[in-house]
Amino acid sequence: MLEFDQVSKSYPGGFVALDRVSFKLEKGEMAFLTGHSGAGKSTLLKLISLIERPSVGRVLINDVDLSRIRRPHIPYVRRDIGIIFQNHRLLMNHTVFDNVALPLVIEGFSGKDMVKRVHAALDKVGLLDKVRCLPQTLSGGEQQRVGIARAVVNKPPLLLADEPTGNLDPDLSKDIMRVFEAFNQVGVSVLVATHDLGLVARMKYRTLTLKQGKMINDGLLQYQEDPL
Amino acid sequence: MSILFSGRASSGASAHKISLGRRFVMFWVNHVRQALFSLGELWRTPSASILTIGVLGVSLTLPATLHLLVKNVQQVSDSFTQAAEISLFIKDGTDDRQINSLLKILQADNDIARVTHISKQQALAEFADVSGFGAALTYLTDNPLPDVLLVLPKNTSAGSARQLLDRLSKERIVEFGKLDIDWLTRLDAIVSLLRQAVLVIAILLLGAVLLIIGNTIRLSIMSKKDEIEVMKLVGATDAFIQRPFLYSGVWFGVFGGLLAFLIVEAMLWWLQGAIGSVTSLYDSEFRLMAFSVTEFFSLMLLAVLLGLTGSYLSVRRHISAIEPTGP
Repeated sequence: MLEFDQVSKSYPGGFVALDRVSFKLEKGEMAFLTGHSGAGKSTLLKLISLIERPSVGRVLINDVDLSRIRRPHIPYVRRDIGIIFQNHRLLMNHTVFDNVALPLVIEGFSGKDMVKRVHAALDKVGLLDKVRCLPQTLSGGEQQRVGIARAVVNKPPLLLADEPTGNLDPDLSKDIMRVFEAFNQVGVSVLVATHDLGLVARMKYRTLTLKQGKMINDGLLQYQEDPL
Repeated sequence: MSILFSGRASSGASAHKISLGRRFVMFWVNHVRQALFSLGELWRTPSASILTIGVLGVSLTLPATLHLLVKNVQQVSDSFTQAAEISLFIKDGTDDRQINSLLKILQADNDIARVTHISKQQALAEFADVSGFGAALTYLTDNPLPDVLLVLPKNTSAGSARQLLDRLSKERIVEFGKLDIDWLTRLDAIVSLLRQAVLVIAILLLGAVLLIIGNTIRLSIMSKKDEIEVMKLVGATDAFIQRPFLYSGVWFGVFGGLLAFLIVEAMLWWLQGAIGSVTSLYDSEFRLMAFSVTEFFSLMLLAVLLGLTGSYLSVRRHISAIEPTGP
């Protein structure tokens, strides 16, 4: 599904954000990506969502080399990847429905079909009753779940999340993770970047750990009092 | 369309079994919907929209007014085509037979639209009538006025009228011909100068309109930067993001054009009275001409094209420049 092959990314000025990172995420697999801030988590996600291009190495999704995707085709690649942002990035002056419907509108859905899918997505994250609300009237956890609904509404085979629980308390974080698990159980590949190591250790999923751009751990993370 | 997952296309909207006709209808329905949405956007930011529409309307008013001015001056100068009338004075002592045969020849001439013969007697009667010397004229022993042929050329332009004059002056029984052409040439020159001035001013103002619309759209793009980033992250193409802004440009054009039209109409209405009293003094049949239907639609088309071009230039530059910086 997702494959990094000796990927390095350095920025102008010589800062190396990723250093020869290789890993493979199978179809229907769920994994965490951890590390301190600045370890390269965000860069790795940016390479997948084609916001950045690798300096060296190849990123492949479903055996398609992303370096072969030219600029006009980037939007079509992004439609296959659901992205969840730390600050959820909702359109604040549009209703929850409009926010969730955005990817569908972009893909040309309309009418009953669109409404059905939006309602299904909101139902999965438990927010069906907030469909007409503006995001401002929702709590932080609810806003994040709207963001998740938007990411999954067009049923992407790959789901990326960047610190989805960054601003949430532990109970809400757990709820959000349950939502990801539910999607994973229906066959979606999920990669969650987080620095919430306690949560990661409890969840018992494969964990990729980055430290200063290098992959230092790939597998189950044993919870330690002083991780890394 | 899915590039990465060939099997996935079946879940996309494009793969739904929708007939071509229905898709065609949906295409237009979507465009109408987006156009209305853009209209709503303008409505939501009334002050900025009104300013832009106002500037656009005023900028279009000036060329439109000048165009009407040229059109009306042209109407005046057209009513003076008679000015290119050639008067042929016949030699004294020519008999009527010779005059009549020349008259026939000239009537058959391809360059000549109309020939009128004013005989000595008619001329004298008219002179007596108009000049007020009626009583004095009775003291004349014979009629001092010549026969005159009034020739109206088909082509009333100065050059060809002069050529015709030269040709006709060579006729045997013609004493001399006369063409009052200088002031006509001058009027022609003034009208064409005016027309060129209108063109230059119009081009300058339309350029200004392009820049104004471009700038308004740029500001509106900048204020929606976050929204555009999000849309790009969830897979919107540049074309999709551009469309509402292009429609805003079109709406600016529509409203600006209407405003310009209304301003010009109001101005005409305002001037009608004043012009009426001037022309009645001159006993002229001059009527102020307003926009014709074609001119109205040309104005609207021009305004819409300007709006569209202005927003397109802006959108092309600025939308591709906005790139999401990170998830």
